[in-house]
Amino acid sequence: MRGWLLAAALPLLAACGGADAVAVGSKDFVEQDVLAELISQELEERGVPVERRFHFGGSKLTHEALVNDELDLYVEYTGTALVAVLGRDPIHDADSVYTVVEEAYLDRWDLVLAPPLGFENTFAVIVRAGDADSLGLEAIGDLAAVDEEWTAGFGPEFMSREDGYPGLKEAYGIAFGEVKQMDLGLLYRALDQGEIDVAVGNSTDGQIAAFDLRVLNDNRNFFPPYEAVPVVRRETIERHPRVWDVLQRLEGVVTAEQMRELNRTVVVEDADIPRAVRRWRARHLRPGKTAPIAPEDTT
Amino acid sequence: MRELARFLVENRVEVGGLLGEHLYLSGVSVGVAAAIGVPLGIAATRSRALERPIIGTANVFQTIPSLALFGFLIPIPLIGGVGARTAIVALVVYSLLPIVRNTHAGIRGIDPALVEAGRGMGMTDLQLLLKVQLPLAASVILAGIRVAAVVSVGIATIAAAIGAGGLGVYIFRGIAVVNDTLILAGALPAALLALAADGLLGWMGRRLTAPGAPGAERGEVKPA
Repeated sequence: MRGWLLAAALPLLAACGGADAVAVGSKDFVEQDVLAELISQELEERGVPVERRFHFGGSKLTHEALVNDELDLYVEYTGTALVAVLGRDPIHDADSVYTVVEEAYLDRWDLVLAPPLGFENTFAVIVRAGDADSLGLEAIGDLAAVDEEWTAGFGPEFMSREDGYPGLKEAYGIAFGEVKQMDLGLLYRALDQGEIDVAVGNSTDGQIAAFDLRVLNDNRNFFPPYEAVPVVRRETIERHPRVWDVLQRLEGVVTAEQMRELNRTVVVEDADIPRAVRRWRARHLRPGKTAPIAPEDTT
Repeated sequence: MRELARFLVENRVEVGGLLGEHLYLSGVSVGVAAAIGVPLGIAATRSRALERPIIGTANVFQTIPSLALFGFLIPIPLIGGVGARTAIVALVVYSLLPIVRNTHAGIRGIDPALVEAGRGMGMTDLQLLLKVQLPLAASVILAGIRVAAVVSVGIATIAAAIGAGGLGVYIFRGIAVVNDTLILAGALPAALLALAADGLLGWMGRRLTAPGAPGAERGEVKPA
């Protein structure tokens, strides 16, 4: 009986990757899962055992998990690290944001910032294309004409971050008549259904094109730069030096356009993230080579 | 704790609004569930053919995890979508079982001699229901509504994930930004609301209990 139980538990233990595996985490939205899967596959290809702990929670929660050794790495955005994690005031120059975050992370938590992945994912103030055309909305400031009658929808994090609604209200002098808080993934559906009139999502979200929505310009330059960078524990790099090689190879490989397309693929066409990421890697990371066919792809 | 008090005072307008939304979500749901559940429970006592499907369906509904039910309802037209309507549909589903089951058990638990006596006096089925069975089962039915109310106040916190508002808004926001004050600002009033609903309905139950009804004295069924 005991032997049987052990036999049943073994695959489970193997799936957890064991104590030596690198725990790759992600925050609670699609792009994060995609990026975490991308890094996981790259690591596995170089023989680094990976434990996938995706969709962890908000930025603060995921960061805490990293600091407390629950995770070894996840992808953060520099502006988020600066404002939401470090609690600093927004800076508007991308290079200085990176430098400030890099120094503070190493200093305070022994965390290392890898090179940027190559794209920025900023908060995006989004309206229906029909409203944008009929009301002539182009920039966030244009919302001042309608803000009192409009219902806005935000994710739970945006509601209380300094680079979120409180700051936006102040920078643009707008306050929406009603604000609904919901899961990030539902914002687009709510916008499409008319449940809300304006949403704040992410600029690389795949649904923006899919639902015929329009992103308004941040004409007062309120949001800081949000470059995507993997954050990794220094201990992890010492334990698995190959982790750092992989992260360096990933510098600048994903453009904003590609990220949006990858997100769109997962949200609209095929929810199988590992497969979508394998295909993307085959196409963009190894030019000239044919796509390796994984067993899962043949079905 | 002092931080929590300060937060609640500083944001009293918002807290009041969320509390109102929370009351609305759970109050409407329990009301609708009672309007559907009590007749269903009565139907289950009247017909053997209906008894098992009614109780069985209510049981199955109860086993669906709440977040899964919200997710499942979102793509459904008319009753689904993002917002309060979906949340109310889900909460009604959860509130049904205790109400249906207690209505059924309350009526079934009445001493058959009392029903026979009513029939002997020439009462019709409807008179029997209104004058004998429902009054005697009232406390058990109310106990079911009481359970439903507590359950829906609790589950309504999850409705914040689908944009329905309520005190869960603070809980989700607090979890997202790892802020204990925010989490408690949602959780504590929600817990107090559940306790208040439980107390109020318990008090009503004691007032409504007919002498000789099941549950009249510490839940014992007294012979008539």
